[in-house]
Amino acid sequence: MSSFESDKAAKIHRQLHSHLPSDPALRVKALESLVVERGLVASETIDAWVEAYSEHIGPMRGAQVIARSWLDPEFKARLLDNAAEAIKEFGFEGNATGHLIAVENTDDTHNMVVCTLCSCYPFSILGMSPSWYKSSEYRARAVREPRKVLAEFGVELNENIAVRVWDSTAEIRYIVIPQRPANSDGLSEADLAALITRNSMIGTDRTLTTGGA
Amino acid sequence: MDGIHDLGGKEGYGPIPIGDNEGFHHDWERRMWAMARCGLLPPGTIIDQFRHGLERMVPQDYLSLSYFDKWCVNYHMLNVCAGIFTMDEVLSGHTDQHARPPAPATLKQAIETQRGLATDFSSPVSTSPRFSIGEAVTTKRLMHSGHTRLPAYARDATGTVITYHGAHFLADKGAQGVHSGEHLYTVSFAATQLWGPEANARDTVTLELWESYFV
Repeated sequence: MSSFESDKAAKIHRQLHSHLPSDPALRVKALESLVVERGLVASETIDAWVEAYSEHIGPMRGAQVIARSWLDPEFKARLLDNAAEAIKEFGFEGNATGHLIAVENTDDTHNMVVCTLCSCYPFSILGMSPSWYKSSEYRARAVREPRKVLAEFGVELNENIAVRVWDSTAEIRYIVIPQRPANSDGLSEADLAALITRNSMIGTDRTLTTGGA
Repeated sequence: MDGIHDLGGKEGYGPIPIGDNEGFHHDWERRMWAMARCGLLPPGTIIDQFRHGLERMVPQDYLSLSYFDKWCVNYHMLNVCAGIFTMDEVLSGHTDQHARPPAPATLKQAIETQRGLATDFSSPVSTSPRFSIGEAVTTKRLMHSGHTRLPAYARDATGTVITYHGAHFLADKGAQGVHSGEHLYTVSFAATQLWGPEANARDTVTLELWESYFV
């Protein structure tokens, strides 16, 4: 059991506010040198994780899952039934996807995901979240004026299309299944995956295209 | 707590920085995220304690520091709070207590370890859920000053249960260091219920809410 206590935490934060170096790079360097000197972790292990999240764990994973769901109705049914289990078929389970739910866009419904209280995100399937997702602007506005937010992303929604905003307040995480682009018959899973934008799986992009996407 | 972190529905914010598409900008951000994969929180730390630690930051820091900078400061805080590091060690970035680190992980091992980080937060309880799918629920107006996942904008509001998830660890208790299961629901609120008649009547906002958040 850790000895975390709320008021003590706030007091230490005030001390850190006054005394930590102002450059965030130096603050992180101080943390790294401290944990390495203490023998808590090796620098090379940190390097390995940097590479894992730079090169291997990213939105191409989610795109592959979505493309499969477009091609394989049985897989799509499994994805909609229990996305946390379905992504294990790819070995994509991991950080923050233990309770993953897939929500599907239709002609009359658009889904959009936010975490207003922190910035929860399904990392193992979409990689690191984009900076705008973590911004105060997105967190504040996505729930209150989603149509204005979508318009800023270039998504102009007909009034008749319902917007469902999912605010991730517990350990449930969401991935949006965008609609398959028109004129994409005959494309392979890999070709389809290449058409799927990261933002379309968060819900700030809607109409995917086959040409020049 | 009614903290600065509770941003949902707050007005006055400008355009979304939509061009800022990258997950990381600087090497130190990548290294901070990587360190957070390496089990460097005090043993036994619950994720809700981590989140509550962020909420207890100096408010102007919460708004002005970037995401990974907040994480770094919070790592320093949590380790000082638990007595793992002294304040002097944190401020100097060095320690007199040197030890040999465990063998380094390879990229392959990191990717494999990552697969094991899909945590199950469900925690069955013996009581029956009070509400069923399709039923109306009303959230509390007043919450406590500790960590909670009922945002201000969704308080004293009536919505409809659309999913029941079984019992999950209650975040409010987790921040106090206690694993305690409670029934968890996804509740859909009409946008007009939350924001008034100017909202589109077709639109909804859904949240995951624990049973004790309802009146």
